[in-house]
Amino acid sequence: MANSVNISIEAPIENQIQEITYDGQEIYQAPLSMSENLARLAQKIDFAKSDDEFCNIKKEGESSSEVKSEEDKEPGYQSSLWPWDSVRNKLRNALTEVCVLADVLSIAKEKRYMVLDPIQPDSIESRPMVQVYGRKKALSAAGAVLLNGVERLRASETMRMTRNMPDFHIDLLRLRQNWRLKKVSNTIVGDLSYRTAGSKYSQTGVFEVTKAPEEQIAQAMSMNAAGPTPSALRVTVPPELQGVAFISVVCQKEQEEVVTATLSSSALNCPGTLPGDGAELHWQQKLEAAQNVLFCKELFARMAAEAVQLDASIPHMVVGNQIMATVLPGIQLLIGLCHNNGQNNNNSEAVKTKVVTSVSRCAPSPQPEERANKNEHDHVLEHSLHQLLRAVHHAHTHHPFPHPATGPLGPSKRRSLAGPMAADRYELLDMSKEQSLLEQIIQQAQHFFMRRRSEYVLDTIAKEVKDPLIVSHWNALNSPTQSCVKINIMAYGYDAVCRTSLVVHVGEKTLKCICRDGKVRHLSYELQELRDLIYCQIYQHQMTAVQAVGRCMGWQLLASSSHLGSGPVEPLGNASSCLLASPNGDRMIAIRCEPSVGIQVFIAQSPRKDFFVSELVQDKKWENLGGAFKEVKLEKMEGKNFLNKMELLMACLSSPS
Amino acid sequence: MAVNAAPITATDSLSQALKANIIPNQEYLLQGSVLDSAVEVLLHRLRGLCDNVDAGPETFDDQEVCFSLRDPNQQSTPLTLRVRKALDARDMPYQLRYIGQPDLGDKNRPTVVRSSLDIACSGMLIEFLNELGCRIEFEYSVKGYMFRKGRMKITVAKVFKISQSSMPPEPISQSYLVELSVLAPQGQDAIGEDMRAFADQLRPLVQLDKIDYKRLGHMSVT
Repeated sequence: MANSVNISIEAPIENQIQEITYDGQEIYQAPLSMSENLARLAQKIDFAKSDDEFCNIKKEGESSSEVKSEEDKEPGYQSSLWPWDSVRNKLRNALTEVCVLADVLSIAKEKRYMVLDPIQPDSIESRPMVQVYGRKKALSAAGAVLLNGVERLRASETMRMTRNMPDFHIDLLRLRQNWRLKKVSNTIVGDLSYRTAGSKYSQTGVFEVTKAPEEQIAQAMSMNAAGPTPSALRVTVPPELQGVAFISVVCQKEQEEVVTATLSSSALNCPGTLPGDGAELHWQQKLEAAQNVLFCKELFARMAAEAVQLDASIPHMVVGNQIMATVLPGIQLLIGLCHNNGQNNNNSEAVKTKVVTSVSRCAPSPQPEERANKNEHDHVLEHSLHQLLRAVHHAHTHHPFPHPATGPLGPSKRRSLAGPMAADRYELLDMSKEQSLLEQIIQQAQHFFMRRRSEYVLDTIAKEVKDPLIVSHWNALNSPTQSCVKINIMAYGYDAVCRTSLVVHVGEKTLKCICRDGKVRHLSYELQELRDLIYCQIYQHQMTAVQAVGRCMGWQLLASSSHLGSGPVEPLGNASSCLLASPNGDRMIAIRCEPSVGIQVFIAQSPRKDFFVSELVQDKKWENLGGAFKEVKLEKMEGKNFLNKMELLMACLSSPS
Repeated sequence: MAVNAAPITATDSLSQALKANIIPNQEYLLQGSVLDSAVEVLLHRLRGLCDNVDAGPETFDDQEVCFSLRDPNQQSTPLTLRVRKALDARDMPYQLRYIGQPDLGDKNRPTVVRSSLDIACSGMLIEFLNELGCRIEFEYSVKGYMFRKGRMKITVAKVFKISQSSMPPEPISQSYLVELSVLAPQGQDAIGEDMRAFADQLRPLVQLDKIDYKRLGHMSVT
């Protein structure tokens, strides 16, 4: 294996073996000499093909042919075996021909002995009648085609004029102004999908346009003489898009059973179906209904896919045509696709709901024949869903332009700022996440409920508490997920003296309250928290208002405390108190205020009325130490409200009697 | 992302992107010009042909400054860099642009192909370039309309000379410059055919062609 092997390379034998002698010796054919090789190659030349080359060497041929012919004669004349023989013969013939031609041309040019004359070609015998007959036949065929077309047009025109039928072409023009049509071989098809508006839904919305048969038009016209003329077009929409559909959005309290058995496929928007298969509907309504069905299908398919993919704390459920999502604990959102095919099915007839055309947001009065007054279709949320899907479509088609103009097409503004602003990986990931439709609609439903609850709480407090007036101003401008309310607490007649304001921002699941002391409190979705807060604010208002009234009356504030540590522990908030002294200094009012118990007012008099000299305390001056506080029965006092009573009390105690 | 996985470094992701050929570093370009009197017709035509111009064409107003960085031994051609900022959208980043020489390639290519790198930068860019040693060659401002069709971007704009005082910028010619460009990674030459087809649709109004700058440079300026 380690030994190297010598390899010798030889060229193979070039010359053919002519003979092998008996003693094994090989005799090779001698290789061709140079002249023999040349002869072999010359034999391969085919003179028949290469004519033009030899015309050029005509002149040389003249001079060299004599030389050649002499040369040819020298080696023994073996006529057929000698290869140059054919060459010589061919060259000689060519030379002869060419010489003859040259001679003839020179003689003809001189025009003395020979002249070239043109010859008339043989005239073809003309047969005019055959031509005429041929042309007549061709023209009649063309004429027949044209006449055929004109006949059809004339027939439709006369029909239109006489019977006042609708014109197919005018109708087609109107259809074309509203919908995209295309002619495919013999048929006219159109597209009613939202593809060009940015939808990426896979279901096509192809419809076909045909001419309505005349009998049907005549029948419709005779039946409906006073109404509008039916159109000459008939539009065929795909069967899965026929009928009407809408997305029903219902917010309801959580039900015991997991699946609600009957789906309210109420035929709210279905136009009156004419007898027959509904083909007599005007094409515009039909196409619009079909487009709406397609839109609802896309919307529902998208939301169902999202419901399955999303990871919520309480999972969403998709059952048949319904998506069930939990909005707040105890509140469910049911989104369903209601598609009324126009065929009689049990569902559409059994559910004859009394159609409530206006959605009442505050507590609706329950009517006994309605099923559950909570199961009302929420038009606002349905409209929001439509808007959300249209926004998705819009985003697919309208990509932002780069500013400056040389930037790349495509990245949004945030994305193009991510580079210079050194966004990190998490920010980039955040940018790529976008909220799904289902999440957005759940947020809107949550906000709707929060707003309703907050309104309810504020209204009930306003009804219950009359003493300071609770006035709430809701902002007219709000978003689907945020509203704002400003609450003013004031007493009647004393609104210029003291007014407590607070602002509540209602979000999706939380409330944010900004109180008059500047504190920001975040509340959850429980009603009780807002109620408690408002009550605390009311009593704080009373306390500050009393101090303000005292200031107006000239009473002096001796002490006040917002969070009193004395007395029994309060269930709600802290007790607050203040101590006011009259301008003379001889009277004092002490007020203690607690949210759960109410307000207690005590008065005291500085020189004691009940001072008697005793053994321990002998000096009369000790009567100036204030007397005991006695409680005032506020409910027996005159006065419209607490502040009024306090003002009267102060006025009464200020007078020098 | 797994919390325990080693983070991918920036150089790794950049080299991956380079290998996968997804970085758009080539610009395919066709240019033409149209007189002021005829630009309205061209804009109408583009509104009909391009995507989503329902609310009116998008306008832009940019200012471009061209820097050049020369080698100290002064032998090679200087490196030119362009800084472009949007005057109508001040919060958008500046674009630093490098444009290479057009790829000579074969004459049958329908468009000019040149390498182009666009980088978004913050406002410190001009100082940074000055610190590097770049000097300002020239500057101009461009104002006009922008359209898009698929991946193609069409701009119809007027070039203005920036005057020193607070005078309004004056145009350098009575015509609008029309450019049709696509930024694409290397090797996507089929887009050139689409661009040529689109340019043919604008043909009688404006002639969009490959412009050879070297030949323009030899023409005498009146």
